[in-house]
Amino acid sequence: MDVELAKPFIKAAVDVIGTMAFITPHAGKPFVKKNSIATGDVTGLVGLTGDGKRGSVSISFQKACAVAMVKNMLGDDIQDIVQDVKDAVGEITNMISGQARAGLAEKGLVLQGSTPTVIMGDNHSITHIAKSPIMAIPFETDQGNFTIEFCFE
Amino acid sequence: MATLDGFRNKDFLDQITILNDIAGSKNPAHLPALMDLFANPTGDTGVDYMVIGALNAVLGASESAVIDGLGSQSPEFRTLCIRAAGEYAFAGAARPLSAMAARESDPDLLVEILAALAKIRPADGSAVFRSFLRHSDPMIAAMAMEMAGVYADSLSAAVLMETVSAAATDDKYETCEITTWKAIDALAAIGTPEAIAFLVRFVHHKNPTARRIITDALVRLGEAVLPHLEPAYAAASKDDRILACNITGFIGLRKGADALVRAFDARCFADPNTRYAAFEALGRIGTLKGLVCLVDGLAENDELILMAVVIGLERHAAPGVLKTIAERITDGNENGPRIAKAIIASRALRLFQELYPLPGVGQVLMDALRESHDQSILDAFAERLDHMGTAIARADAESLPQAKAATHRALAADDSKSMLALYRNILTDMGFEPLLAANGQEACNFVENGEMADVVITDMNMPIMDGVELVGKLRGSLGYEDVPILMVTTESENSQRAVAIKAGVTDFITKPFKPADLRETLARLLASKA
Repeated sequence: MDVELAKPFIKAAVDVIGTMAFITPHAGKPFVKKNSIATGDVTGLVGLTGDGKRGSVSISFQKACAVAMVKNMLGDDIQDIVQDVKDAVGEITNMISGQARAGLAEKGLVLQGSTPTVIMGDNHSITHIAKSPIMAIPFETDQGNFTIEFCFE
Repeated sequence: MATLDGFRNKDFLDQITILNDIAGSKNPAHLPALMDLFANPTGDTGVDYMVIGALNAVLGASESAVIDGLGSQSPEFRTLCIRAAGEYAFAGAARPLSAMAARESDPDLLVEILAALAKIRPADGSAVFRSFLRHSDPMIAAMAMEMAGVYADSLSAAVLMETVSAAATDDKYETCEITTWKAIDALAAIGTPEAIAFLVRFVHHKNPTARRIITDALVRLGEAVLPHLEPAYAAASKDDRILACNITGFIGLRKGADALVRAFDARCFADPNTRYAAFEALGRIGTLKGLVCLVDGLAENDELILMAVVIGLERHAAPGVLKTIAERITDGNENGPRIAKAIIASRALRLFQELYPLPGVGQVLMDALRESHDQSILDAFAERLDHMGTAIARADAESLPQAKAATHRALAADDSKSMLALYRNILTDMGFEPLLAANGQEACNFVENGEMADVVITDMNMPIMDGVELVGKLRGSLGYEDVPILMVTTESENSQRAVAIKAGVTDFITKPFKPADLRETLARLLASKA
């Protein structure tokens, strides 16, 4: 069930970003994507398999939001903003995937997660490989927006 | 037997060994001690996590403990029991869970309860889910709708239909809510004649995403949908007729083709766009009656319709039909050269190979081929002629002209194969090198690979990435900021033009158009750019 899978990821995103980056995201109304493409400036992507399911979860941040997270996490210790943003988004995606999967495992739904891939580039696009519609949840923060997208089949 | 006595004073290795043994044994005798450890964690995350695992395993062997736990004062333990009730599908937990669902106000916990009930799936569970169909949290409402589908609960149909209709209002067509998606899928799963008839009525749903989900659902339902599609061929709205034809084609069953042929006989497809869709559908299915109808289609004089006919015949033509096609090409009628041109433009190599040796036909086909300005078409047919191996065929292959080097490039995106063939034909005629894409994403791939174009033609509705999004992407791509973009729309999509203009479309052309109209528009766009 999509909702049952999606809920833990939403909760984990709010928890992780709140705890690690001191940013409070507010979830907007979920919607169905017209296409299988995620757009954003920085995206963390994890593939998931297990329990007869296969899918991917992506978290796409606007540049301002990604930079704000890094600043909050590293303070003044930023060496190379591009590399640091990449690391931070990878790390945050990994934590969200881990926390959500731990929650799902408690319900007997064991999913394996791949190592996150981070894609950077202003207004880039990523294609989820799926036949089923994709659920997207928009989030607003004071520092810019991000979107979580799920597709499972 | 493993014991939890003095657990907190043991070292890490002993602790995890004991917990592992307990998880394996599932012995309910450990329950009180485990619950104590759960209520007062050790502080070591690894051990505490294993305590939850062991507790879950023990609960899995004791339905009564889980049911008792549903009434626990500790919210954490209660949640654990809710999850265990679902995971182990304890039928006895269904009643208390249903009662909890009715009074729970925290949406997160409600999702847990409903997810557990969904896994237990009690025989009388449909009523519980039905009561959440209109829940204000879209996730919960979506979950209830999904279960209405699982239970095939016809009593939920009215609310589901209302959800789908409400999403078709003017202010709502830009984004598709997840409840609309789930309501459509649930109605398809309910699958009563009323539910199917309702979905057919909304084939041209105002929301493009919903429209695609409805189409997919109807195609999935297959045969049961066909009787409902038949009246739609005679529908007042042209779009409804076209979509009904498309869905019949995708379903691909003989019965569908028979119904299309009947609709042809009843003159339902007077309008050229609808006829094009009907021929395309018949071409997909390929029954004997359908083939006869396609052969009749050779009398069409619209280039695009002829291409749909030829593409259908290319897939299914049997030897008996070939003779008739040959006669149509050589009967001296003005449509002969048109058919030959359609065979060349749609790259119907198999038809070409079969027809070429027949008396008189080869000459007409070669005349059409020599007129082509498309080097890739010339090459493909030259290779086929060479492969046929006769002396005449080889000589014909060698006599083919070289296309003039293209002076401009054009990028065209459309999900219809025959529309792309038409663009290829027109564009190469005008001296363009065509870059053809089956959807917005393929078009974007060209651009991302550094391919430049002097003009872009795009359909509005395409799978994977639609025209509006493609245009937005192009306008943000280096070198495409000012390239003229022509969007091809149907009349009914006019309401969405504002969105397309905002995205950066330069001009529109409405289907159906004559090839000459497209040529003229392209020439005008290029002139204004210069």
